[in-house]
Order: sequence, then structure tokens, then C-alpha cells
Amino acid sequence: MSRLGFEQFPDYQVPGMKHPDFSPYESNGGSIVAIAGDDFAVIAADTRLSSGYNIHSRTQSKLFKLSPQTVLGSAGCWADTLSLTGSIKVRMQSYEHTHLRTMTTEAVAQMLSIAMYNRRFFPYYVSNILAGIDNEGKGVVYSYDPIGHCEKATYRAGGTAGTLLQPVLDNQIGHKNMNLEDADKIKLTKERAVSVASDTFISAAERDIYTGDSVLINIITKDGIEVRTLTLRQD
Amino acid sequence: MDLDNARELPRAGFNFDNCKRNATLLNRGFKPPITTKTGTTIVGIIYKDGVILGADTRATEGPIVSDKNCAKIHYLAKNIYCCGAGTAADTEMTTDLISSQLELHRLQTDREVRVVAANTMLKQMLFRYQGHISAALVLGGVDKTGPHIYSIHPHGSSDKLPYATMGSGSLAAMTVFESRWKPDLSEEEGKKLVRDADPTGVFNDLGSGSNIDLCVIRKGSVEYLRNYELANKKGKRQLDYRFKTGTSTVLHTNIKDLLVTERVQAVPMEIS
Amino acid sequence: MFLTRSEYDRGVNTFSPEGRLFQVEYAIEAIKLGSTAIGICTPEGVVLAVEKRITSPLMVPSTVEKIVEVDKHIGCATSGLMADARTLIERARVECQNHWFVYNERMSIESCAQAVSTLAIQFGDSGDSDGAAAMSRPFGVAILFAGIEAGQPQLWHMDPSGTFVRHGAKAIGSGSEGAQQNLQDLFRPDLTLDEAIDISLNTLKQVMEEKLNSTNVEVMTMTKEREFYMFTKEEVEQHIKNIA
Repeated sequence: MSRLGFEQFPDYQVPGMKHPDFSPYESNGGSIVAIAGDDFAVIAADTRLSSGYNIHSRTQSKLFKLSPQTVLGSAGCWADTLSLTGSIKVRMQSYEHTHLRTMTTEAVAQMLSIAMYNRRFFPYYVSNILAGIDNEGKGVVYSYDPIGHCEKATYRAGGTAGTLLQPVLDNQIGHKNMNLEDADKIKLTKERAVSVASDTFISAAERDIYTGDSVLINIITKDGIEVRTLTLRQD
Repeated sequence: MDLDNARELPRAGFNFDNCKRNATLLNRGFKPPITTKTGTTIVGIIYKDGVILGADTRATEGPIVSDKNCAKIHYLAKNIYCCGAGTAADTEMTTDLISSQLELHRLQTDREVRVVAANTMLKQMLFRYQGHISAALVLGGVDKTGPHIYSIHPHGSSDKLPYATMGSGSLAAMTVFESRWKPDLSEEEGKKLVRDADPTGVFNDLGSGSNIDLCVIRKGSVEYLRNYELANKKGKRQLDYRFKTGTSTVLHTNIKDLLVTERVQAVPMEIS
Repeated sequence: MFLTRSEYDRGVNTFSPEGRLFQVEYAIEAIKLGSTAIGICTPEGVVLAVEKRITSPLMVPSTVEKIVEVDKHIGCATSGLMADARTLIERARVECQNHWFVYNERMSIESCAQAVSTLAIQFGDSGDSDGAAAMSRPFGVAILFAGIEAGQPQLWHMDPSGTFVRHGAKAIGSGSEGAQQNLQDLFRPDLTLDEAIDISLNTLKQVMEEKLNSTNVEVMTMTKEREFYMFTKEEVEQHIKNIA
């Protein structure tokens, strides 16, 4: 055996020689932002659906109106989003028939958590954010991890650009990391919430390749849900 | 003193010292650092009087855009340019290295270098590294034998083509060439064709984006059109995000006097 | 009804030619052997008062539980076969807890009654659909549900046929016929809770064979402020004194 024989070299990984195992999950991208106010909740999601470097759709809404008071934003594996929202809608219809009333936002929030934890060991690969009006007429936001951990919040960002957007919300909505008097803290109106949500998406589209095309914004108040749209970069 | 330092300098070429260690780390589940990639749509065509190269300007690190306006059309020689896709460092270093070798070649031969020579040198280098240098190139130039376009793959294979595309957006861009390219296009037609092909990748491939660079190489002249087209405009934000002075808390202040004392002394000049 | 029962009272799921299910009717009859329970709903809250039959001086009266807590906001009074009652109450408790677990909210009184009713009418089922054993007969129990929903008191009644209806006031058990008549005469929608307690104890006093005292009667109130509250022996005594 020569000193420079073939067997002397370790088998380094070469990109073209991978044998990936079957993966049941796929990330289809997308981002969600939700902000709760005194008597309203704003939830926004982009409309790009993609996988890898391909765009499947530029116009896919990721917001699901579950009741006149509750909207769910769901991003991640689109197949799981469809499966989860489908079963949530069935459960809500069934609740309405047995208990003769529409589910409250709190009830939906808890049920969603249970539905996701049911799949603890083969989870729905989704980033969920629930926004709505609670029993007292106040805006609420609930955010979830893929296996059903539920956290009540006043503002939250999720999806592929979630980590980019959350600090912006912390600063602009939560007034974090600023030396401000209470009087200088800008009051959170419905219009400001919509503007901040829109602006975060404009910035996210600059840097996150999975966020773009357009944003759908749902504004939930006791009077109903108003829908607005905003065009983003297409690249 | 300089000589002492020179002994410490690394030898020319790649250093493989850590290969074995890194392979072991990788096997134990260590995640290697993410390199900057140019997902990229790069194209090149031959037209009546020369070649036109085109490229987008997005560089990515995984799902994040790391540079919104980078230049992917690299200089090789006065009459030869090369678009690069793949790992940013690899495309830059490879084209720079070959560029310097081409210059040496030109000085040695005292002739304008030929595109075929650039192609050969690039593919030989890439083949030597067995695909580990992730550079996918579209090489274009004009020499005494006419205009040439080559596409070169990371493992070292290359094709001589009348029109070529590379990078993650190559299929999108190729659709435009396949339907509209024909021999002996005029310069205007050629630029329009490249301008239409490249955004096809920019819009439909997530690895490509931002603006379009063009490089027209004719016999005896080159026109590098940086940001030829701004395909995407940034959205206009509704609110003003400037902060009031004093928003950041001042924890403590420390002012140091930087007094420089210098004595100037007159020294008589030596006159020989 | 006894004239036409001929053979049609054997199967629990066989109608007679007149369209009656005798076993269910017999079960309703069985309740009339049980001790009397009375429920009255007022704007302030619901009161449940029941007779406890202490058949032997050696019995420990506190172990005869006729009024039970199902959830913080739902209480039940039962009459009929106590063993059957336990099964239905257990289901009611499980359903309330499950509802809280899944929806993080209190179950409505009607939904709770509905859930218990679903179990109550499973008699005659072959029982193999969900692996449970078959039930051979209807439950011989009637239940009064007292609860608070959205701050408002409610009173519901369910019988062995699984029928559940909301009431202003309702009596079940052996003295129910006389007691119901008494309630109809005395009930007003604007009763105070204290008035309702007095009416219920007075009614019990009239229909019970034994003399009313603090060991053979149980009283519970369900109010928005206090929710499920069982009266102590002393409190019961105090109220008995009031009506004397």
C-alpha cells in the first residue's frame, strides 16, 4: 500500500453525495405579527407561500377567521396548518352545537393548546398566533410553540421573520430599552398598531427571503373584523 | 526582522491542518458556521458584436439577506468578465486568483488573453478541489477569435454555449433565453433580453433578488452597467422611527483630556 | 298503565303497542320511593333542600350524602337509587373537569345536564361501540342541578328518561306531588334567598313523615358570591327555628 493510497484519505462529505432520509415536514415560510390594544386586536401575516428557493403562491392568506371575535395566524408547514385549522374549525362547530354558543377567544386559546399537545410526539410543525377580543371586550394575543405551549401576550411576532420582528415590537409597542417618561410613551391606538405592523413587514421583506409579496391585516373589534392589504417587495 | 516574520507566514495555497479535526466535529453533530452564499441568477449571452453578462445583487446567509446590493460580475481581464454563483468567498477568490494568473499570462505572452484560456484555468482549479470550492460561473469575453460564453460547474465541468444561466434562478432565467434568444441579436435586443431574463430569476427564485447588473463586452470596449435596473423598490414606512435625544440611558460619564505634548527641534540638514 | 303492560315491560328498549317504554316509567316510579328533594331558584341564588332518611339510630347521618358538589359552580341533589346517583354524579364531575381542561372555562349547567342525560339513556345499548359494558336498565334517579352561569342562578331537573328541563322550583322524591303543589302556590320569581330557604324547609316539613330536624335534612345554597355552600348543622337548626 502506497503512502498516498486512496484509503489514506478520510471520506469527507461532498454536497452531491448526500442521501437524505424522508422528512415528513417542510417549511413553507411566512411571518405573523399580532398586537392587542384596549378594545381591539390587530393581526397581520404576509401572503407568500414557499419551499426552498421556490415560491408556491404570492397570494395565500395565513389568517383564519375562527369566529367574529377570533383570528388565528398560522405559519410553518402549510400541510400541518391546513390540517390543524381544519380540525379546529370542526371542533368549534361541534362546540357551538353542544353548548349553544360561540366559543370565546379564551376557550379557543385553550382548545388550540390541547389540540397541539395531543400531537406531542409527532407535532404540527406550525407557529401559531391567536388574536381576538376577550370576555371583557379587551384585545388579547396568544402565542404557541409547536407542541402547545400557550402564552398570553399583548404583542407577538412569529414565523420565519419572527426573531427579526419581535425586538422591534418590544421597542415600539412595549417601550422596552428606552429611557422614557410615561407621558412620552405613545398611546397604542388602532391606527398606530396597524402602522407598526405594516412597517415591520416592510423591513422583514428586506432581509427575510421567505417574507414578501403582500401583507393581509385583520383588525378585530367588537363590531367585527376589518381587512386591509399592503403590497411588499416581490423578490 | 522582516525575514524572521516571513518564516512565520503561511505557505501559499490552502491550509488543510484542521480537516481531520473538523470532520470529527461534524460527525459528532457540530454545526459548521454558515457561509455567505449568492443564491443568485447569473446569465450570459452572445450577441452580434460581443457578449452581455447579467447578474442579480442579493447575497444570503441561510434565509437572511446579508447583502442587498453586492456585485457578482467579476473582472478577469480587460476583455473577460465572469459572473459567480455559490459561496461568496469561493467565487471572489477563484476569480481574483485566475485574474492574476491571466495577467501574468498576458505579460508573459504579450498577447490579449483568450477566453478559452480563462475557462481552462478555472475548470482545472475547480476540478482539483473536487467540488469543495462552491463556485458556479458564467464566463464571458471577446478575444481575437470572437465572442465566447462558458458555463463552469463547481466540480470542474464546463460548456461552451451561445447563452448560459447559472445559480438557483438559472432555470427561471433559461426559460426566457429558450423562448427568445436567436443568433445575431443587436446590442439593444441583447440588453433587453438579459434584462428580461434576469428578473425572471429575481422574482421567482428566493435566492435571487434586489437589482440587476449588466456587463456588455464588445470587441475593444467594455461597458459595466452597475445597477442597470432597480427591479425592487423598498416599501415606504408609515411612521417615523427616530428617537428623541436622551432615549438611551447614560449610565456614567468619563471625560479624558487628550493633551499631546510635542517638542519640535530643528536639526541641521546634512549637505553632501 | 298496569292493565296493558302484558309482556312489554321485559325489554328496556321495546315499546308497547301504546308507544310506552315501561321500564323507563317504572324507573320514574322508583324515584317516588326516594327521599324528597326540593330546589328553588331565585334572583339571588338557588337553594336545594333534601330529606335524609335515617333508618337506624346506628347510622352515621353525615355519610348519607344527598347533595353533592359537581364543580365550584354546580351542585346536585338526587333522589332514587343512591348507587345509580353516584354513577351519574361521577360523570357530571368528569364532564365539568374535562370542559375546564379543554376550554379553560366553566361548563354551562345545561351542557352538564346534557352530558349526564347522554349517559342516562344508554341503557339497552349493546355497549360495544366504545368498549363499555352494556347497561341493563335505566338509572333509577332524578337529579336537580343548581348552578351559576354568567352570574345568573339556574335550576335544572333531569329524570330517568334523560329529559332535562329548567325550572323555577321543583320537587322530586316520595313527597314530590304534595311538595310540587305547595311550591306552585308559594313560588314567585322575585323571592329572596332566605324566603326560598324557608319555603323549601316548610314544604319538606309538610311532606316528611318524620319531624324535621338538623340531622335529617340537608340545605345547600348556590349564589354568585359564595357558589356551592352546604349549611352547617347550626345554620340548618337556625332556619328550622325560624319557620317553627
